[in-house]
Amino acid sequence: MRFNLGEFEEIVLLIVAAQHNEAYGMSVTNVIEEELKRPVTLSSVHTALYRLEEKGLISSGIGGTTKSRGGRRKRIFNITAAGKEALLEARNARSRLWSLIPHFVFGES
Amino acid sequence: MKETPDIKPPKWADRFFEWYCRNELTESIQGDLHERYEAYLSSLSKRKADSLYWRDVLLFMNRHTLRRTYTRQLKTNWITMFNNYTLVAFRNILRNKAFTGINVLGLSVSMSICLVIITMINDQTSYDDFHKNGDQIYRVTHRRSTGVDLAIATVPAPLGKKIREEFPGVEDVVRFRRGVSGEILDNGKAIAINGLFTDTEFFDLFQFELRSGDRSTALDDPFSIILKRDIAEKFFKTQDPMGQTLLIEGLGQFKVTGVLEEFPGKSHLEFQALASFSTVPLLENQGKLSDLSNSWDKASASWLYFKAEQKESLRDLQVYLDELTDEFYNEESEFTATFFLQKMTDITPGPLMGNQIGQSMPNFFVYGLIVLAFLIMICATLNYANLSTARAITRLKEVGIRKVMGSTRPQLIFQFVLEAVLISLIALAVAILLLNVMLIPAFEQLSISSILGWELVPDLNIYLQFVLFSMLTGIFTGFFPSLYMASVQAIQALKGARIPKMSRVGLKKSLILVQLVISVILIISSSLVHRQIKYMITRDYGFEKDNILNIDLQGQDFQLLKTELEQVSFVDKVSGANNIPSIGRHDDIKVRRFVSDEQLEFNYFSVDENYVDNLDLQLLAGSNFNPSISGSHRQLMINEQALKTLGFEDPSEAVGVNLILEDSTSSKIIGVVKDYNFMMLYMDIKPLILQHHPEEFEWAQVKLASNPSINQITQLEHIWSKLDPNHDLEFEFFDEQIEDFYSTFYDIVYIVGLVSILSMVIAGMGLLAIATYTVRIRLKEVGIRKVLGARPGDIVILLGKGFFVLILVGTLIGSSLSFLGNKAWLDLFAYRIDFGLDIMGIAFLFVLTVTVLTIGIQALKAVETNPSEILRNE
Repeated sequence: MRFNLGEFEEIVLLIVAAQHNEAYGMSVTNVIEEELKRPVTLSSVHTALYRLEEKGLISSGIGGTTKSRGGRRKRIFNITAAGKEALLEARNARSRLWSLIPHFVFGES
Repeated sequence: MKETPDIKPPKWADRFFEWYCRNELTESIQGDLHERYEAYLSSLSKRKADSLYWRDVLLFMNRHTLRRTYTRQLKTNWITMFNNYTLVAFRNILRNKAFTGINVLGLSVSMSICLVIITMINDQTSYDDFHKNGDQIYRVTHRRSTGVDLAIATVPAPLGKKIREEFPGVEDVVRFRRGVSGEILDNGKAIAINGLFTDTEFFDLFQFELRSGDRSTALDDPFSIILKRDIAEKFFKTQDPMGQTLLIEGLGQFKVTGVLEEFPGKSHLEFQALASFSTVPLLENQGKLSDLSNSWDKASASWLYFKAEQKESLRDLQVYLDELTDEFYNEESEFTATFFLQKMTDITPGPLMGNQIGQSMPNFFVYGLIVLAFLIMICATLNYANLSTARAITRLKEVGIRKVMGSTRPQLIFQFVLEAVLISLIALAVAILLLNVMLIPAFEQLSISSILGWELVPDLNIYLQFVLFSMLTGIFTGFFPSLYMASVQAIQALKGARIPKMSRVGLKKSLILVQLVISVILIISSSLVHRQIKYMITRDYGFEKDNILNIDLQGQDFQLLKTELEQVSFVDKVSGANNIPSIGRHDDIKVRRFVSDEQLEFNYFSVDENYVDNLDLQLLAGSNFNPSISGSHRQLMINEQALKTLGFEDPSEAVGVNLILEDSTSSKIIGVVKDYNFMMLYMDIKPLILQHHPEEFEWAQVKLASNPSINQITQLEHIWSKLDPNHDLEFEFFDEQIEDFYSTFYDIVYIVGLVSILSMVIAGMGLLAIATYTVRIRLKEVGIRKVLGARPGDIVILLGKGFFVLILVGTLIGSSLSFLGNKAWLDLFAYRIDFGLDIMGIAFLFVLTVTVLTIGIQALKAVETNPSEILRNE
C-alpha cells in the first residue's frame, strides 16, 4: 500500500470526492452523521481533512459563504489526482480481499 | 432548519477560539462551528447548545489549529537587540530623571519593607534546620479539657517513662523536665542558671555536639551536668570545667561532664545547661522537686521528643496515646488530656501553643507578613503600571518606528519588561541601602525583636532571594504597561497617537481611593496610638514616681537594708513592698466582712508604714500603719474602690471595721487611701488592700532627694555589697521602669507609623500617576482655555477639583472606618483619649499636602506650557 489511509480518513476522502467542489468541514460531518449514522465531532473531521491535505490527497481553497455562517467563508476541499489514486487502490485492495473469501462463509449456497 | 439569526454562540468561546487558532484557519473553522451550533439549536435548548459549542471549541485545539510560535524567526539578532534594549533603557532612565527618581523611590520604599519581611521569614524558618533527619523528629503535645482551648507543648511527666518502656515503635525518646534552676555561688557572686533535665538519647536525637566530654555517657550518672560554652566560661574562666562541681542552691552538687559546642544554628530548644534525667527521681525523693512521677493530672513541666522513621509508627503511637487517655482519665476526672503529635519543623513558626520550651513565633504572624508583603508590592506595582502608561505617549514614536522596522510584539514586550527590571534592580540597590542603614537598626531596637530573638542579618542566600524578588517584581510591574505599548498600531503611534481611552480612569481612581483610605486609616491609627500612650504615661498616676529608686531585695533582709540606707544623706525615705505598682504585677486576696458573706476578690499589696508617704498617697481617713504595736500585720488599709465594694458611704465609717481574710484571720481597717493606679494603666482601678507584711517584701523603694549622680549610685552599691557580697545591686528608676513596661506600645506606634508613611508614599505615587495622566489628556483643553483668556489659577482649580473630591471622600471613608476600628481597642482602656475631629483634620491636611504637591506640580506644568506648542498641529 503506497497510501497509508486510515479507515476514517478513507470515509472522509470518499465524501470529499462525492461532494465535488462543495465539500467543507460541516458538509462532510453532516454526511457522516446522517448517512452513516455515526456520531462524530467537528474537530475530528477537520483534523482528518488537514491530515489528508498534508498527505497531498486533497487540496483546499477559499469558497463562498451562507447566511448561517455569519458571513464567514468556507474552506472548500477537492480531491487531487493522488487522492483519486489512493481511493482506487483502497477499493482494489478490498475487492481482492473480498474475492478471497470462500462462498460458504456468508452462507450463500 | 429553524431560522435563528438572533441567537449567537457564547461570545467568550468565540474569543477564546480566535485567540488560539491560527489566523488562516480561523474564518473557515469558525464558520463551520457556527453552522454546527445552529444545528444544535434546532433540536436542543440554548444552554445545551452552548455547552456543546464550548466542547467543540475546546476539542479543536490541536497541532493543526494552534498558533505558530515565533520559532521560525531569525534568532541571530537577539544579542544585538538585547544590547540595544539595554542601551535605550539606560538612556531613558537617565533622560527622565524625575520619573525614574519617583519610580525608584516608590518601589524601593515598598521593597525595603518586603526585604525586612523576607529576612524575617528566613530567620524564622532557619530554626532547627541543622538536625540530621530533622523531619523525622516529633514531639507529643496535649490539649486539656479545662482552661483555655490551646494546644500545650508539655505532657504529663509519667508519659515519657511509659512510652520509653512500653512502646517500641519509635526511637530515641527524649524527655525534658524543667527545674535545673537556682543560683550558683561563684567567687562570692551568685549567678542564676536555668536548664533542663534530659536523657542520654538527647545527643542521638538532636545534632548538638560536645566540645568536651563523652556524648554517650555524659548524661548517664545522676547529678551530671552539661553546660553551654558561654556559661562554662562564666563559671570557670580559663580553667577546664570538666570534672568540676557546681553547687546549685536548692538542688545539690552537680558534676560537670561536658561542655556543649556552639549551636550550629538557631533552635527552639532554649537552655543554659542540661542535667541527667536520672537525677530527677532522686530529687523527687528528697522533696527538692515536686514528685510528678505518677501525676497524670499535672502537665506543665515535661516535654517529650522522639524520632519516627516510618509514618506508620506515628499512627500506631497515636492509637496508643488515645488508649492512654482512656486509661488514665474518665468522665469524672477534673483534668483530661488528649495527646497529639507535632513535627519538630512545625514548631517555629508553628501554631500558637502554651508552655513552649523556648520562644516561638506563631505561624499566623508569618502568614500575615507574607500577605502584607504581597499587598505592598501589588500597590506599588499597580502604581508603577499607571505611571508608565501615563507616560507612554513619549515613547509611542519609538514603538512606532520599531514596529515599522520589523519588531514583533514579543520583542517589544521584552524590551519594556527589561526596562522595568532594570528600574526594579536600581530600586533594589536603594532598598538594600535603606534596609541596612535604617530598617534593620530600627527593628533591632524594638523590644519585641529581642523578646522573639530576631536576627535580621542578611546573608548571601538572602541577598540572592532579594535579587530574585526584585527581578520578579520588575517582570510583573513591566508586563502590563508593555502589553499596552506593544499593542499600539504602528501607524497610530507614528501619527502622534491618541492616548488610550478614558474608560480605565474610573478604575484607576477607585484604586487610588482605596490607597487613600488605607493611608488615612493608618495615619489616624498611628496618631491615636501615639496619643493614647503619651496620655497613659504622662497621666496622673495618683502616686509619686519621680526620684524613686526601686531596689530588688534578692532575698536580702529589708530592715537591715533600710537601716543602712536611711543613714545616707541623700536618701529621703525607704519603704518596702512585695510588688511595684503600675507595671502589671499584683496579688489577689479573698475578703469578706462577715462569715455569712460571699467572698470578694480584692487586689493586694504588702507594704510598710513609709509606703503612703513615699509614694505621696493621700490618706482620706484613719491612720497609717504602726509597726511598733504588736500584731501590726492585722492592720489593713483600703482604697476608695474597696470602700465602695464593701458598701461604705464615707471613709471614716470604714475605719475600725474588721474584715475576714481568706485564711479566716480577722484584720482591722485602720486607714483609707485615695485611689491610685496600682494596676496596668489601661485597667480600671480595682478594690485594693494594703497589708503590713514585712516578710513578703521583695522591693525597697528608696526616695532620693534629687536625681542621683553616679557617685551616689556607687555609694548605694557600696552599702549593698557590705550587706550582701554575693549579689550585685539591682535597681531601676521607678519612672523608667514604668516607661519600659509600656515599650511594647511604643513598638506598635513605631511599626504603624512606618507603615503609614509607606502607604502615603505609595498613595502619593498613585496620585502622581493619575495627575500626570489627566493633565496630559487635557493639555489641549488647557491650551484653548489659555488662548481664550483663562487665568493660571482657574486652570489649576479646574484640574485639581476632581482630586479634591477624591481625597475628601477618601478621608471621610478612612476616618469612619478607622473610628470603628480604633474604637474596638480604645474601649479596652479604662482611661482613654477621645477620637476627635482634630485627628481627622490632621490626616486630611496630611493627605491634602501630598495631593497638592503631586497634582499642583503637574497642573502648574500644564499652565506654563505655551498654548502655541500644544495647538500648533491642529
